[in-house]
Amino acid sequence: MTKTEQILKKKPKKWITNLIFTFAIIIAIVYSFSDSRINWKRFNSVGSYLNAMLESFADIDVDFLLGTGLYRFEEGVLFLTLETLAIGFLGTLIGAILAIPFSFLASTNIVGPKFAKLGETFLIIIRVFPEIILALILVKGFGMNALTGVLTIGLHSIGMLGKMFAETIDNMDRSSIEALDAVGANVWQKIRYGIIPQIVPELSSVALYRLDINVRSATILGIIGAGGLGATMVLAASNWNWSVLGAIMLSIIVMVLVVDGISSYLRNKLV
Amino acid sequence: MVAHLNTTKYWVNDMTRFVLTNGKSITKPFNKIWIILGILIVLVVFFSYFIQYDPRYIVLSELSVLFEKLFTPRGTRTWSDYFAYMLTLKDPLISTLQMSFAGTIMGSILAIPVAIFAAKNIAKYPIIYVPMRFLMNLIRTIPALILALIAVMFVGIGVLPGIIAITIFTFGIMAKMLYEVIETIDMNSYEALESTGANKIQAFRYAVFPQIFPIYISYLVYIFEINVRSSAILGYVGTEGIGSVIKDNILYNYDRVGAAIIVMFVLILTIQFISNLIRRKLQ
Repeated sequence: MTKTEQILKKKPKKWITNLIFTFAIIIAIVYSFSDSRINWKRFNSVGSYLNAMLESFADIDVDFLLGTGLYRFEEGVLFLTLETLAIGFLGTLIGAILAIPFSFLASTNIVGPKFAKLGETFLIIIRVFPEIILALILVKGFGMNALTGVLTIGLHSIGMLGKMFAETIDNMDRSSIEALDAVGANVWQKIRYGIIPQIVPELSSVALYRLDINVRSATILGIIGAGGLGATMVLAASNWNWSVLGAIMLSIIVMVLVVDGISSYLRNKLV
Repeated sequence: MVAHLNTTKYWVNDMTRFVLTNGKSITKPFNKIWIILGILIVLVVFFSYFIQYDPRYIVLSELSVLFEKLFTPRGTRTWSDYFAYMLTLKDPLISTLQMSFAGTIMGSILAIPVAIFAAKNIAKYPIIYVPMRFLMNLIRTIPALILALIAVMFVGIGVLPGIIAITIFTFGIMAKMLYEVIETIDMNSYEALESTGANKIQAFRYAVFPQIFPIYISYLVYIFEINVRSSAILGYVGTEGIGSVIKDNILYNYDRVGAAIIVMFVLILTIQFISNLIRRKLQ
């Protein structure tokens, strides 16, 4: 037996654990599909639906898209898209402003490790609470309008933004503050010249990233009446109105790509 | 402060220009913050036009009424009914998990080949990786909910449209995250294996796979967590799960909605906790 073979024999035998894991995952997948309520025959008609869908996507209602002709401007996809953008943008702004005090509460640098843990837990709870449920609750108080959407996005953003802001504050370089201390700067000067130049680029970069997410989620808030494209979209889908749905999907894709592009361009510039 | 500067070293000419005693002048760079603030204000004013609301419908007291309705038993029902109802939510809970699990696994598996062909260091020609990236960017722009809407139109209500929507959604994120990981890996071992005569598949298996596998699993767990959260929304368009329970009861049975929200929240927190645990182990 050569040395190579000896070393090869010493190699830990992992195939048993691998087999068990693979088996467990396969069982879990099979179980996930084991639902007898899945109607596999529906797949037969997928082809004809796909045909109908593609045909009407190619034949998009331009009047509806721009809100001209038969439609009022407020009903058109263009207005709704701008409304969706507005919900995403203003929601992110409100979220970013609200997140600053919350991030102080979750930062070890400012409130100490024990309080920070508490603040962090609070932020996790905000973060994992589904937006749509939050919107459902807020709709009762603020009515079925875009304002509810803005508030939902704003409140939901606090969770992630607060956490990221707290991390930025914790990772801040403190030597510049000490240097300012040494030359006799007062508290405001320390904040203005020591803290703000350090954290603002990172905070804005996080907020821009969140804007990207928020514009995506603003598209769906409409289903429960919180403004934006969602309401028209669900209505079109339940009426099998493919050409309207196509117009809405087109505008969502364009909007998301544009916001994604702007957001990542600005983030690259900031870093 | 200005007086002090005047008498000793330099004097202030205007807001942005300082002239030193030796005759040299320093111009303070223009602070771009005012431009940014200006743009921001214009954007806020522009977008505020689109936020139309009727102040008559803002009734904040409704919120506390709603909270009471959500988290106390309705009418003649008792607290034991409230908790008993929570236990009956076992089936939708399992549907939610089934949907998320099956979708996550299938989407992640589908993402592997696309991610490999989208990575610049493996697929060396733009003609291969550019269309792949375009495909995944396009898929990623469509929210999971719209995918579910369309899937419901195609295959009817039930668990299946949820699985399809989550599969496509997972595919989009996973392919993007994975190809970015593949691009950052160390290619030396891949080249070393190729030079010893291994073919591309063998080289991938022994040089690239061990580097990306732990990250892949950790992403998988993370996406599963996202999917459990988003399947709450999917219930709104006709897939089964906790979301549909909320939708069915929202018009008359607020206490059941409240119970479902609590159950869903506990589920999401549990999944989040487990996911964090697994991901920390993997790192």
